[in-house]
Amino acid sequence: MKKIKIDFILNGVKITDEVPANITLSEYLRDYLKLTGTKEGCSKGECGACTVIIDDKIFDSCLILIPEVDGKDITTIEGISKDDLTPLQNSLIEEGAFQCGFCASGMVMSLTNLLSKNEKPSLEEIRESISGNLCRCTGYKKIIDAVIKLTKAII
Amino acid sequence: MREFEYYKVKNLKEAINLSKKFGKNKRFLAGGTDLIVRLKDNLIKEENIIDIKNIEELKGIKEVEDEIHIGSLVTFSEIIESDILKKYSPLIVEASKKVGSPQIRNKGTIGGNICNASPAGDSIPPLFCEDAKFFLESTNGSRIVNIEDFFKGPGKTILKEDEILVKIILKKWKENEFGFFNKLGQRNALTIAIASSCIKIKKSDGKIEDIKISLGSVSPTVIRAKKVENILRGLKEYKKDEIIKICDEVKEEIDPITDVRGSREYRIEVSKYLVFEALNNLLNIRG
Ligand SMILES: Cc1cc2nc3c(=O)[nH]c(=O)nc-3n(C[C@H](O)[C@H](O)[C@H](O)COP(=O)(O)OP(=O)(O)OC[C@H]3O[C@@H](n4cnc5c(N)ncnc54)[C@H](O)[C@@H]3O)c2cc1C
Ligand code: FES
Ligand code: FES
Repeated sequence: MKKIKIDFILNGVKITDEVPANITLSEYLRDYLKLTGTKEGCSKGECGACTVIIDDKIFDSCLILIPEVDGKDITTIEGISKDDLTPLQNSLIEEGAFQCGFCASGMVMSLTNLLSKNEKPSLEEIRESISGNLCRCTGYKKIIDAVIKLTKAII
Repeated sequence: MREFEYYKVKNLKEAINLSKKFGKNKRFLAGGTDLIVRLKDNLIKEENIIDIKNIEELKGIKEVEDEIHIGSLVTFSEIIESDILKKYSPLIVEASKKVGSPQIRNKGTIGGNICNASPAGDSIPPLFCEDAKFFLESTNGSRIVNIEDFFKGPGKTILKEDEILVKIILKKWKENEFGFFNKLGQRNALTIAIASSCIKIKKSDGKIEDIKISLGSVSPTVIRAKKVENILRGLKEYKKDEIIKICDEVKEEIDPITDVRGSREYRIEVSKYLVFEALNNLLNIRG
């Protein structure tokens, strides 16, 4: 199998590599780059644990073939804060929004993307933004509460 | 995931020439939300994957006189955000909102949904109500096919080996046209339809001048319920009991299967009420 040359930006850093075409972005992040903040749950686009931001939109990285990322600008959970946690992350912690935490990276990516476009989302918009992220533990309420608390503080 | 050779093509000509070369032994990759799952499940025998995502000729939503042309690579998110479609073809917008999740809608394309030819494909019932035409291109040139001639069964279409879906052609809505799409799933997000129905009505002086009804997930392909349409056309009195009786006739036109999502019997019963619910939203139905 021919290797494919890829060139893309990951968390602000330019990456150039040659890889087999039959791996996904989530596999590349976790197994090749050891960036294990991105989780893989279902591997089929159904749980959102593997959510990343590409060119301002959210995608399931388990449903992206690695050659598809050529030329893209990708942000993973490792790239959303440089030194400290973001206000969103702090608010999620304060609310005790997660239990096992497996869904947390994906949730943070979806919510970060929402807040970057919409500083004061409605309840409906918050719910919609995480409708592709499954949480098996919490029932979503505290996750949503954390966003409401944060965005009210922004006003 | 199994091994394959990957090719990224820059234009339509390159795509069809390459697919001519590989014949049956290739798959096009658009958004990949169907194809990549199937590659993972080892359901794809073809050894060559042709990535068509960079082909400009397959992109964009355009107004062309009284028509709208939707490129096959247009994603569900682009459909939902399109001012042209919101104004001139709102049913496809409503149906796109019901697809998967934000992540899936950012990647999945209308062309992939059509060519995948699932009876549960959410973009397909509205396209039946719009009498959509598909513009296809192959090494033999181009042709335009009516939606009613396109689907042959679950996963089966009339697409030739080297043929690609370029765009979908719709007629703009007129002022007296109205529509409603409803999808029944196990939950709201990330659900494949147990059954769905779509209705487009043309009204004049309170009378149903024309009506198109399509149903998804209740036959080997999405279908039009033409018998029910014929009974409803011309009607101007809408009494609940009578309308439900008419909706019951859909059972003559559908042929559902039993699967994990629902039984044949349930699908037959629920189809009637999906059509009724849609009519109830569009007509002033009395007691
Ligand atoms: C988690 C999840 C949830 C989903 N939910 C829904 C849902 O709610 N409703 C729904 O309808 N679907 C759903 N789907 C299915 C899928 O997302 C859609 O069918 C989508 O529209 C497929 O488009 P794509 O661009 O990703 O197709 P791809 O996977 O790229 O292609 C699908 C097939 O069509 C062929 N093809 C693609 N484009 C062309 C073209 N232009 N010409 C010729 N052949 C072509 C490909 O070769 C392939 O065989 C879901 C999928 C997942 C993984
Ligand atoms: S692991 Fe990608 S969506 Fe579940
Ligand atoms: S906290 Fe466990 S899955 Fe969300």
